[in-house]
Amino acid sequence: MSAKKHVIWGSTPGRFAGKIIILVIACVFAAIAGYEFWTLRHYKEVIVVSEDLTEVKWFSDYVPSLKGTWLDTPVFIFDSGVEGGTVFVNGCPHPYEPASTVAAYLMLENIKVDKGKVIIVPRANYSGSTEGMLGDAYPMFFHVDTDFGPVKFRIGDRYANPLDQWPDPYTYVNYPSGQNLAYQDIRNLNRTYPGRENGTITERAAYAVMEIIRQEGVDIAIDMHEAEILYPVTSTYVAPAKVLDREHFEETGEMVYVEPEKSSLDIAMMAAMNIGNTFFMKSEASPNTLHGLSHREWADWSDALTFLMETPEIFIDKITGPRTEALMTEGKDHFLQVVTDKGLTYFPYEEDFGTPLWYRAGRHLSGALEVINWAGVFYPEMEVIVSWPTYTELEALENQGIDSVGAFLHDPNDPANRDRAYVIYHKPVDVDDVL
Amino acid sequence: MSVTMLTLILLIIMIAVFVVSSIFLKSPDISMVIAGVVIAICGLIMFPELGSPVRYLVEGLFVNMDLAMLFIAASIFINIYSNSGAVSTLTRGIVKYIHNKWLLMIIMGVLMLIPGALTGAGSVSIFVLGGLVDTVFSQIGITKRRRTVFIFFFAILSAAAPPINLWTMLMTAQANMPYVGFTWLLLIPIVIAGAVCIIYCGWGAKQDKTPEQILAELPPETPGMTWWRIVLPIVAIIILFILGLYLPWGLPVLGLPLMFILAAVVAFLCNPKKTTFKEYVGIINNTMEQVFPLVANVLSIGVLQSAMAATGVRGLLGSFCVGLPLVAIYCTILIFGPIMQGCFNYGVSVVLGGPLIFMFNTLGMDVTVICAALSLIFPLGDSLPPSRIVGRLACVETGEKSYLKFFAAALFPMLVLGGMAVFMIVKPAWFAFLY
Repeated sequence: MSAKKHVIWGSTPGRFAGKIIILVIACVFAAIAGYEFWTLRHYKEVIVVSEDLTEVKWFSDYVPSLKGTWLDTPVFIFDSGVEGGTVFVNGCPHPYEPASTVAAYLMLENIKVDKGKVIIVPRANYSGSTEGMLGDAYPMFFHVDTDFGPVKFRIGDRYANPLDQWPDPYTYVNYPSGQNLAYQDIRNLNRTYPGRENGTITERAAYAVMEIIRQEGVDIAIDMHEAEILYPVTSTYVAPAKVLDREHFEETGEMVYVEPEKSSLDIAMMAAMNIGNTFFMKSEASPNTLHGLSHREWADWSDALTFLMETPEIFIDKITGPRTEALMTEGKDHFLQVVTDKGLTYFPYEEDFGTPLWYRAGRHLSGALEVINWAGVFYPEMEVIVSWPTYTELEALENQGIDSVGAFLHDPNDPANRDRAYVIYHKPVDVDDVL
Repeated sequence: MSVTMLTLILLIIMIAVFVVSSIFLKSPDISMVIAGVVIAICGLIMFPELGSPVRYLVEGLFVNMDLAMLFIAASIFINIYSNSGAVSTLTRGIVKYIHNKWLLMIIMGVLMLIPGALTGAGSVSIFVLGGLVDTVFSQIGITKRRRTVFIFFFAILSAAAPPINLWTMLMTAQANMPYVGFTWLLLIPIVIAGAVCIIYCGWGAKQDKTPEQILAELPPETPGMTWWRIVLPIVAIIILFILGLYLPWGLPVLGLPLMFILAAVVAFLCNPKKTTFKEYVGIINNTMEQVFPLVANVLSIGVLQSAMAATGVRGLLGSFCVGLPLVAIYCTILIFGPIMQGCFNYGVSVVLGGPLIFMFNTLGMDVTVICAALSLIFPLGDSLPPSRIVGRLACVETGEKSYLKFFAAALFPMLVLGGMAVFMIVKPAWFAFLY
């Protein structure tokens, strides 16, 4: 009997018991982690949108095949009714850069538009916000203190969730440039522009962004990102110096770059110089040969002036200390101070100050306003008169010991705000079902 | 206590647990998981704000899930192909028609490169061709020790050869670099080192048997095996690669695992032998036995990677490496790289490769060349304890009794490859024209 058992289990009873224990532990781990994964994927953020809101559309209004997918996402439109330019602001193309989303939420909740039209997408890569950065141990959520209690926001991944788009090819070939990129970039929204209407869902989301810019007649398009301080393009506006000659490309298939009629780079340079009095910012020309990125493809495939903004986000640097929620919201890290002291970073990092969330979001808020204002100066027909909280306002509140991000968020449970409360999800959800 | 001290303690704990566990369990894979879990728990005690480690440990399992699936699918293809008699028939054909020792060695070397290049695992080359190479080479007068060196060296070269070089893939994924441009950077040093190895192993060997005598020692010819049955499965996988590259927008994304499964179906259809369903189940079972250590390894790496990232150990190592003088790296990389490969297997890409890439990137050096060079150095560690996977397999295949004498004999070609790689690291700009 015992010999038979040995044959069946391939081991002694003691070892078999050990295997069962390991299996049980693995199941417990899987159950706990599975519950946490489910929580992140289905967590719904609620925001209170400004009274200036005129219309809510979805990516699927521009690319119908996105309806029902996890890359559908709401598009908020604020039209003053006064003739002027149109601004498009793209939030959360990379969900693991959360100051981009926070800045978009602060814009949405507080925006006032007196001239022209403003379009804001707070979570352009919704799918990517539903999973963590595998192997990088990001926290799932971070919290912001407000008068009405802590508000929880999700972080997410750089890429769309493989649950929504899988498998990856062995190399990703960007359309239509034909440039080879890393295989996982097929799920990277900011490598798939200008997108394809019938491509993968990430390419379709990229195409939806392009259609918003084209169909809504966007004049100024702004993409909000964060970058590691070991990366030269941190704290930077990136804008094209030259753009694709589309007619020539359509006739010959050859990519030739020409001086644009209206220069984004000139505006970026002026904005960087002007805002340099408030915080460190520089400008850089978008390379003609690096494809799939917003600052290249938006300009090449639409008539909009395009800008990508990077704030310093040390979590992306990877060589940080323990990766806690505080590291994400305060950005204080000893190891990066050591590296900065050796002159190896591209940002004047100081551990005592860190790179707090309010600072990064504030940079985006003021950085975007600066670009919009300068575009109006350069090209008066594009003028948009808009306001939202600025870096300086946030800084003033922080100096008083107030959580400045929370101070500009509104309570969705307040009956006065209830009509303006929106659930940010990949499909429409009634706010009463969430609150 | 400072963060540096706490993370240093965690690093010491990690190494101690890994060493003790490796000694008792004889498995670097399980040891990596245990080390990861232990530092995650210790990290939680030292930095309670990290919260439960369960989620990020489980997330770690998914970091290299695609690679694990690729291993399995590619190995199923190679084994079904080999079982059809294609490999042995091909070898018989080569012996029958090629009587020049050097040409025979070159062809066997090239053949040995293919399975590992397609699967990323040198051990697969040994499983598929090690026995045949041993038999053929023993008949042409090459000593057992030199045969072992040849099999081992071409197996590690095959793992480093494109298109699938796992060290490079892991490093590029960690550093957000595209996995493109590595083909010639890897192939040229491999061809040079392979040529050196052939001369080294074949020098002085005297062929004292006729081709007929050699053929009599090889597995018998497979009835019905024709050239097109041999070629078609390989052509199928090549076509799938080419279609993915040149018709990326006209086809659905297949992914590497499915591409190899489709090629395995072609190999199955080309099999002239009567093979029962039960026999195919046996082949797949054997394949799983073969690849299980590799699958375990890449999955374990992810767990350790997550734990190191979360607790700040990765940051400690990274910030230390970033600050190292270049000369120190040039002088020691050929020692520490292989030693850490021996300890962590592919995990070396995360533990050592990633931080080094950050460092060289910070210094503005060409990290594509450096990444390729590192991935030529790391495989040398497959001859070193505790794992010494490939060295051990080569010795088993030829019946070599003295591992130390084999290792001493293998040092010369290893130093040639390592020397070239170090030169690439010192002068990366000189090699940039290769991509």
